[in-house]
Amino acid sequence: MPRQSHPTCRAVSRPGLRRASGALTLGVAAALAVAGCSGGPIGENTPQSSGQSFVSGSGTSIYQPGSRDLAPDISGTTLDGKHLKLSDYRGSVVVLNFWGSWCAPCRAEAPGLGTLATRLQSRGVRFLGIDMRDDPTSAEAFMQTFRIRYPSLNDPGGQIALAFRDTVPPAAIPTTLVIDRTGRIAARVIGSSSYNSLRKIILQVATGHPATAAGATP
Amino acid sequence: MSEVKARDEAVRDEAVQDAVMQDAPFPATVRRGRGGWLRWGWRQLTSMRTALILLFLLAIASVPGSVLPQEGIDPSAVTQYYDAHPALAPLLDRLSLFSVFAAPWFAAIYLLLFLSLAGCVLPRTFRQIGSARQRPPRAPRRLSRLPLSASFVTALSPAQALESAGRMLGRRRFRLRAEDSWVSAEKGYLREVGNLLFHIALLALLISVGLGGLFGYKANRLLIAGQSFSDTPVSLDVLHPGRLVSASDLAPFSVTLNRFSARYVTSGPQTSEPETYNAQLSYTSSATAPVRHYDLRVNHPLTVDGVSVYLINHGYAPQFRVTDGHGKVRFNGPVPFIAVEQSGMTSEGVVKVPDALPTQLGFAGVFLPSAVDVGGRLGSDFPAPQNPRVSLVSYAGNLGMNNGVSQSVYQLDLSRMHKLNIAPRPLAVGQSMTLPDGAGTITFTGYRQWISLAITYDPGQLPALCSGIAALAGLILSFMVRRRRMFVRAAPGPDGATLVEVGGLARSDAAGGFEVEFAELAAELRTAQDGSPPPAPAVAADAVRAGAEDTSSSTREGE
Repeated sequence: MPRQSHPTCRAVSRPGLRRASGALTLGVAAALAVAGCSGGPIGENTPQSSGQSFVSGSGTSIYQPGSRDLAPDISGTTLDGKHLKLSDYRGSVVVLNFWGSWCAPCRAEAPGLGTLATRLQSRGVRFLGIDMRDDPTSAEAFMQTFRIRYPSLNDPGGQIALAFRDTVPPAAIPTTLVIDRTGRIAARVIGSSSYNSLRKIILQVATGHPATAAGATP
Repeated sequence: MSEVKARDEAVRDEAVQDAVMQDAPFPATVRRGRGGWLRWGWRQLTSMRTALILLFLLAIASVPGSVLPQEGIDPSAVTQYYDAHPALAPLLDRLSLFSVFAAPWFAAIYLLLFLSLAGCVLPRTFRQIGSARQRPPRAPRRLSRLPLSASFVTALSPAQALESAGRMLGRRRFRLRAEDSWVSAEKGYLREVGNLLFHIALLALLISVGLGGLFGYKANRLLIAGQSFSDTPVSLDVLHPGRLVSASDLAPFSVTLNRFSARYVTSGPQTSEPETYNAQLSYTSSATAPVRHYDLRVNHPLTVDGVSVYLINHGYAPQFRVTDGHGKVRFNGPVPFIAVEQSGMTSEGVVKVPDALPTQLGFAGVFLPSAVDVGGRLGSDFPAPQNPRVSLVSYAGNLGMNNGVSQSVYQLDLSRMHKLNIAPRPLAVGQSMTLPDGAGTITFTGYRQWISLAITYDPGQLPALCSGIAALAGLILSFMVRRRRMFVRAAPGPDGATLVEVGGLARSDAAGGFEVEFAELAAELRTAQDGSPPPAPAVAADAVRAGAEDTSSSTREGE
């Protein structure tokens, strides 16, 4: 049933003419505005509904080496208080995961991410989390629950996400970006990532050629 | 004589027909041969009546948009509607009634209106350009036959009389056409200009509104005091981009809410009504821009790079610290609660602790800013936090968050949770509640306030405003200005004096008003030429005719 679709991964509705007419029939627009002020719709303003995607369908985009955007050199403080910047990882494939402990799809993909981070370390793959709209206590608890050992930058106000504006912006929480060894964005997965498909994408970026089902076992 | 009369009638007919044409939105074609029906259909579409009907239909079509929940405005309300009306909702959905403004039938009305206006305006513009170049028509022979006429006798020669009349009408900004024995003048072209302006402005309004739909965006964000957000999809709660908007087109600003304060009326019949809201913001227009400050109030939006940020709602976010059964702090922060009534701001919300051990914990709470006991039941009697209390119902089990299905932060999925056996009691700030079965402890550590922001970017807003003003100006112009013609004939009278005849014809407006102007003009002309009452009408008519047939000689006389 379409009503129950996954809000995090749902493509954003395109309101084309709806605003149009709203302005045209000013009275109606005013009525809407009044209705908006009286309280009801505030219930929508939830972190969980923040996931808005510009891509429908699977939500996975892979960029060929010639057409990859250079990732911004984001920096910040990790949840355990260390200063970190993306360029510290230059030379490695970096998997950048935008998440929040409050976000159900993030919780679903977390075990897979934790496992991949451990298993792919030997292949020069590093994981870095960007914790969005979270409080440090909950984030810490999340990382313990899912045994996440890689660090996460604290980004309560979205400034780190904003830095990707002119490249490949994260469009939902969670979003996973795979950055190649030269610091360019090679892939983006919007929504909960699956262990197998993400692993395939990472290995493809790490080896520089499409991974085969048999040859890519770590 | 009869020939002259016929010609006079022809002139009048032409004038009357012109007048009719002025108000017809499209020239009336009578032929209906091959393609005649097509032409007929086009004429119907571009008629004023059809345009008005379409405009009215557009207004009516918007009504369901405000009555029914809309996908684009409040998707959760649509879901609720589905739950409440399982049979009706799919039917309404098929009629696009949950996204009225994106519905095909709505677009059809919009486009037909556009076509109707365009089809009306374009031919008129060409006609207007043509008529602007036209000289005023020839003066009718017998001015006394016109709806308005006057005559007097002057000592000036006919040529002098005409010259003086021409000067006067020219001063009054009449367009002139002077010949040997008459002057014809026309004024009020602005009427049609106003009419066109109105139609073109209406078209521009439709276009600018469409512009907003293509390039604009609308977003919402709830912000607790101390928090900040950035104008990027993952940092917004709800985002509705226009058809041609991508994440890179969002203005790269960040906003922090430093403090929010609300003042309420403390006495009188309006007690508890809000007096003022003030949200102290700091913001940067981009990552490298300097930090600025702004006091955000209702109807005083913050504008950054053309994007407006409005304060639309506020509420309380009580803060909790939750220690789980293993003695570890698993949650420590504010949770936005939503007011369920305004006079006391009684607010409801939920706390979820998905990482609590041994089981996940959930709390459904009520926050009372000014708690009072009303007959054994706890309520809030004032919106300001005078005696803040929070009351919690506790649950343990599986919150259902780990399977990846998104859920609202304002609702607990209780299907796999069980209620803990502890009666809710109102907690004051600093008080704790120990959960049974060693499940943990929850402490009410304080509260903050939150605001809800509406972020809108509409590049069509200014053009739409300008178009609206232009449409109004055009409408006023076309109502105020009348197209009118003045004719003056001068001919030598029988006794050596000159007989001056003045005629007036107001086009395109049956309503009066021109009589006064005509009388003034005629009187002024007469005063200027020092005129006296004319001789008997019958003689005058003869004299006019005689004069008209003997123009050349009278002109020579004048020289």
